[in-house]
Amino acid sequence: MASTLDHPRSDNAIFAAMEPHDCGSFANNTTPLIRNCWYAAARVGEINRKPLARTFLGVDVVLYRTEAGEPVAMRNRCPHRSFPLARGKLVGDRLVCGYHGMEFGADGACTHLPAMGHAPATASVRTFPIVDRGPLAWIWMGAPDLADEVLIPDTPWLSDPTWGTVSGDFHILCDYVAMHENLIDQTHFPFLHPDTVGTPDYARSTLTASTENGQVVIRRELRDAPPPGVYGKPANIMHKRVTRSSEARFASPALHTAYARVAVPDPDPGEPSLYRYNITHVFTPETNNSIHYWWFNSRDYRPEDPAIDRFMLEAHTQAYSEDVEALQWINAVVRTDGEEQFDLSFAPDKPGLMARRIMYRLAMSEQD
Amino acid sequence: MPVPPRLGSIRIKAARFGSEARRKGEPMQDKYLDAVVLTRRTLTERITEFLIGAADGQALSLAEAGSHIELRFGGAGDRFLRHYSLIGPLTAGTVREPFWRIAVRREDRARGSHFIHRHLLPGTRLRVSRPINAFRLARRQPHTLLVAGGIGITPILAMARSLVTRQQAFSLLYVGVEKAQMAYVEELATMCGPSLTVAETSRQGVPDLKAVLAAQPADTTAYVCGPSGMIEDLIKAGAALNWVPERIRFEIFNTAHRPEDQPFEVRLKDGRIVRVGAGTTILDALEGAGVDTYADCRRGECGLCTTAVLSCDGALDHRDRICSGEDRAHQMTICCSRITGHLLNLDL
Ligand code: FES
Ligand code: FES
Ligand SMILES: [Fe+2]
Repeated sequence: MASTLDHPRSDNAIFAAMEPHDCGSFANNTTPLIRNCWYAAARVGEINRKPLARTFLGVDVVLYRTEAGEPVAMRNRCPHRSFPLARGKLVGDRLVCGYHGMEFGADGACTHLPAMGHAPATASVRTFPIVDRGPLAWIWMGAPDLADEVLIPDTPWLSDPTWGTVSGDFHILCDYVAMHENLIDQTHFPFLHPDTVGTPDYARSTLTASTENGQVVIRRELRDAPPPGVYGKPANIMHKRVTRSSEARFASPALHTAYARVAVPDPDPGEPSLYRYNITHVFTPETNNSIHYWWFNSRDYRPEDPAIDRFMLEAHTQAYSEDVEALQWINAVVRTDGEEQFDLSFAPDKPGLMARRIMYRLAMSEQD
Repeated sequence: MPVPPRLGSIRIKAARFGSEARRKGEPMQDKYLDAVVLTRRTLTERITEFLIGAADGQALSLAEAGSHIELRFGGAGDRFLRHYSLIGPLTAGTVREPFWRIAVRREDRARGSHFIHRHLLPGTRLRVSRPINAFRLARRQPHTLLVAGGIGITPILAMARSLVTRQQAFSLLYVGVEKAQMAYVEELATMCGPSLTVAETSRQGVPDLKAVLAAQPADTTAYVCGPSGMIEDLIKAGAALNWVPERIRFEIFNTAHRPEDQPFEVRLKDGRIVRVGAGTTILDALEGAGVDTYADCRRGECGLCTTAVLSCDGALDHRDRICSGEDRAHQMTICCSRITGHLLNLDL
């Protein structure tokens, strides 16, 4: 029997299958969120015996820890009357709903329904795979059977005691696509961050950009240059000429990693000839237009020095606050301005467009 | 090898996990949606597989292993409601399938399954519920034992796929009369390898479930779906081995319907008489007659449909899992329980 659905859909199907080649149509704040990916849910220490409510990819989730210390991520919505479970209480490993007292075990199964005197077999809450890894707990909001822990991004320097790390976080009213593009775009440094990371000569140094296994990597190197203040001051090498090299990597929809290397050809006696910095940006879409963001700046020297910690924390908090502000302004314009605009792109925007194309493809591959 | 489903030119879009609709601002209040039979395929002499799509061509959401849907169908005086487990893809590692796959066994004299086999053809419209997960597979377990009897393989296949995909340790015992009557044996063999044991009762007799449980590693949790006799035997075997009850999780298949069911009549307080056919339930018949009833699970688990019985000319045949003790004499769950006589007076 022929279906009445055939005809109107076939043309649409062809158009839907056409991928946009115009770069204005790569992923943006209206693209469906990529779900099959490990995202950071919280700092490990934030998940404890007090239930914590947080939204990931538009889904309300409650986070807590079992008595044995295992993290649990559960839909923050009682299946009975939608009471937010995070407002209930934890008894042992069971979360008790604050409305009529239904109890749910760490695997989501209902263990007790006081009004009936027994646990109904029909009742359970969806749980999400969640795993502690280093300073963060990672959650999988997509198809649960694809949640392979091998895919959790590896960031070993964050738990390595020979590295000193400072860290901060923001809740940003912007989309994660714009955030990714911001991080892989260094041409904004001298203008948005004139006092910290921006030095004009570095912005003009040659940059190579490539796509490797679904990641986008940019690299650049600059010889015989003054060190940037943000890395030169804590290392006490502002009087030197140095070789700067750096890499920035769109690592996954959840992660951007970068490094900076500052090589000193003629170090002062007893001082290192190489200073390494790793920068880790972790973010999770809360909705299409808001993100949870955690940043980490790690250095491979003097890990316990409080003066360096203070300097790094201040400098980076300032730089990232500038990004946060810019991204919020942009998101507000994009969402409220009544006249359409197709943004222009120029040669230096290629890495950002590469990342947006990858995100577009990932998002679309989950759609059919 | 599994035969790839032929979908004709019906294009099915997005297959997403969960309630994408809410994020797009579409209303998602309705538990039921309009669906259409996409294809059907004969699996064994009595078992037919159906792929069900959304009537608007949108992809249906993926369902977690163990989920089921309510299927509403019929017409011209026949009203049926049946629960079917969602099977999902037939190979491990595949999670995307924009339609829902069910398999229906045609029972002798059971009118619902007969109707399905006879009348559900590609293009047939249905009402289906969104997936309900009442048989949830816990995520982290040291070892899982899956036991399926006959058509009870449907939720168990989905669980096996989930366990294989996640590389979790499990074993699967699939019991049936003989392979020729058992669905998906080849697909399961490919998917599960040595974790699968197929027991054919026509050759080896009924497997010794106590021995099966005793042979499991400590900390095994069992999930069983099949005829109620088999489930009861497994629960008894577990009790004999001192397994705590939570270690055996089960889903009883089609509690409300048995081949020997007979029609009867229900009399309401206002004197109206409603006929309950052999293939339907008291609840469905009353709903059809416009009586205000209350129900949620429709399979004897929530208790919402419990109704006081004024009198009955036969015995009450309780098929639920909640009505117990003295209550059984004067009330019943009308979504699944029946009577052996001809007339039931309900306090409605
Ligand atoms: S809303 Fe949670 S128990 Fe009623
Ligand atoms: S509707 Fe749930 S027991 Fe009848
Ligand atoms: Fe920036």
